[in-house]
Amino acid sequence: MNPAQSADPRRVLADRVEQLYSQLPLAIIATGLVSLVAIYELRGSRIAQFEWNLLIWFWGGMVALLTAARIALYWGYRKSTDRLAEAGQWLRWLGISAFADGTTWGFAGAIFFPSHADEQQVFLSFLITGLVAGGIPLYAVSWLIYATYAAAILFPFTYVLASFGNKLFVEIALLVPAFYAVTVGVAYRLSQVFDSGYRLRHAYGKLTEDYTALNQRLEQQLVQLEDARRQVETSGRKLALFAERSPIAVFEFDPQGTVLSMNPAAEHLFGYSAGEVVGRAGTDILFPSAVQGDITERWREMIQKREPRFGIRVATVRRDSAEIVCEWNLTPLVNTENRVISVIGQGRDMTQQIEAERMKQEFTSTLSHELRTPLTSIIGSLQLINSGVLGDVDKEVLELTTIAERNGQRLLDLINDILDVEKIESGKLTLLPEVLELGDLVGESLTLNRAFAERFKVRLATPVPLPTVKVNADRKRVLQVMTNLLSNAAKFSQEGTAVEVSMEDSGESVRVEVHDTGPGIPESFRNRIFGRFAQADMSYTRQKGGTGLGLAICKRLMEMMGGRIGFSDRNGGGTTFWFELPRHS
Amino acid sequence: MPAQPLNRICYVEDDEDIQRIVRMSLERVGKMQVCICSDPLQAIGKMIEFKPELVMLDWMMPGMDGPTLFKKMREVPETQALPVVFITAKASQRELDELRTLGAVGTISKPFSPKDLPEQLRAIWKDLP
Repeated sequence: MNPAQSADPRRVLADRVEQLYSQLPLAIIATGLVSLVAIYELRGSRIAQFEWNLLIWFWGGMVALLTAARIALYWGYRKSTDRLAEAGQWLRWLGISAFADGTTWGFAGAIFFPSHADEQQVFLSFLITGLVAGGIPLYAVSWLIYATYAAAILFPFTYVLASFGNKLFVEIALLVPAFYAVTVGVAYRLSQVFDSGYRLRHAYGKLTEDYTALNQRLEQQLVQLEDARRQVETSGRKLALFAERSPIAVFEFDPQGTVLSMNPAAEHLFGYSAGEVVGRAGTDILFPSAVQGDITERWREMIQKREPRFGIRVATVRRDSAEIVCEWNLTPLVNTENRVISVIGQGRDMTQQIEAERMKQEFTSTLSHELRTPLTSIIGSLQLINSGVLGDVDKEVLELTTIAERNGQRLLDLINDILDVEKIESGKLTLLPEVLELGDLVGESLTLNRAFAERFKVRLATPVPLPTVKVNADRKRVLQVMTNLLSNAAKFSQEGTAVEVSMEDSGESVRVEVHDTGPGIPESFRNRIFGRFAQADMSYTRQKGGTGLGLAICKRLMEMMGGRIGFSDRNGGGTTFWFELPRHS
Repeated sequence: MPAQPLNRICYVEDDEDIQRIVRMSLERVGKMQVCICSDPLQAIGKMIEFKPELVMLDWMMPGMDGPTLFKKMREVPETQALPVVFITAKASQRELDELRTLGAVGTISKPFSPKDLPEQLRAIWKDLP
């Protein structure tokens, strides 16, 4: 793009106007001086003194008035606050003033030329030529103003010359338009030169502005870049510090698995110094040959999917050849082009923890066996006595053996509950879900628990027949939950009343409700009722039995089967315990 | 279902107290004939001698555990076809499943109810082909 075209035309115009007005004082002064000289030279005319005086004063007055007006115009322009917006207006006023100026001289030429002697006529001709020529530098910035100005001077004078009756004058009059045309032509050329000059100036100014703005932006960006660099440096230092102080072994690998760096914890755990390991393949150094193939395969898959791998437990070798079990987390670092730059590997020695887990499991298993075996003998013996297959027993003896059997059973329940809790918490409890007819299962649980309820003189009842509805759940565990809720309800209900069981099919899920006639759940107990070893009143334990683990186990079992468990107050006293299982579709 | 009712049972168990309870339970409640064997190493010999219709094995025993004995029984022609029920106090579901795939016909967990034991065994017997 031509820079001159990019200049703002309003600014170019304003500059032209400014140029015109800056020359206005010179024009005013020149006009004043020339008119004084003219008045002096033109005194003593061929017409009567009185008429001469009148004309000369009239003309002098006109020049004075015009001069005052032009001073006022100049003053007004200088005081103007918005020359840029009003440039057109100021240009028009200057044009009018130039025309008026020209008119006064045209008037002078037309009036005073015929009335004066030859020398003064030469003076006037010289004067008029001088004014026309002098107008060029004053008004050439706007050739149209100059053309108006020169026309106002020359056309009345030409008329006078042509009509004077002198052959020479007529010939001069014929030359005047040519002279006019030449001067206007020169003014036009000059105005073009001025115009392109201004345009260039503005275009250059604009370029400079653009350049300055660009420079500023660049500087700003440089500052931002420096900030960002500092931030990156800081976070890099932080990261390095984290890795260095981390108690977990941290490695950085390249995508091929070559060790790039390692932290002191890694040096400590594996017994190598960073210098011995960096640059070598991690698989060869860290893993026994038996698992290397598997590791390589997993590594390739991780790089391909660009996804982190967590909790990889694998045998790892130390420098002293001792084999430990480490849990590895591998995180590929991916750049914006989705390319893996490096992989961060964090390794934790799990050997001791695994050993502890194994010991705990072994302990639980042994405890389970060692406690159950004597209990089998105790409960079995008492059951045989109490069942009467061995013959009649003395009533008081039977009472005592019954107490012994019941408490043996209680001890067994406690052991079973503790083992259940342990299994649930270690994640070892596996469910065997199957599609069940829940109504039938609930009915079965009522049959199984009826004898227990009778001990508390409580009936188990279903006021409304149970619906036929299928769920996908573990049969044994649903029975366990039902047994828990029914035995709790029986224990706490008033003697002679009934524990009522109902079911509700909401389409999405099935709800089983067990309504008791007990004293209700105390306010202080409500939020920990599903916690472990939770019992509202410790004295109940002795009075009614139970471990305080039952509801905690029920809650976990229900959650594992995708259900919920809860309770609410029953209208007219008592509590309703319920559980919900998703319906099998 | 086998043609004749369940009558002769061999039980391999090292704990003498439990032996007595099981004997009483099966003889008194179940009216069955029982052969108890304390030493798993001599168990196969006793079985050949007694000719039981069903064998009950304890899981944990000194000398040889139940599953090992069970596998040994499968190698002896006289005992390889005998239906076996495990009585165990450590019942990991996975291990029980494993036994069933080996051919155990049932498992009864300790503590069991001596009152109900004969009935439980008869129920397993009834389901046999």
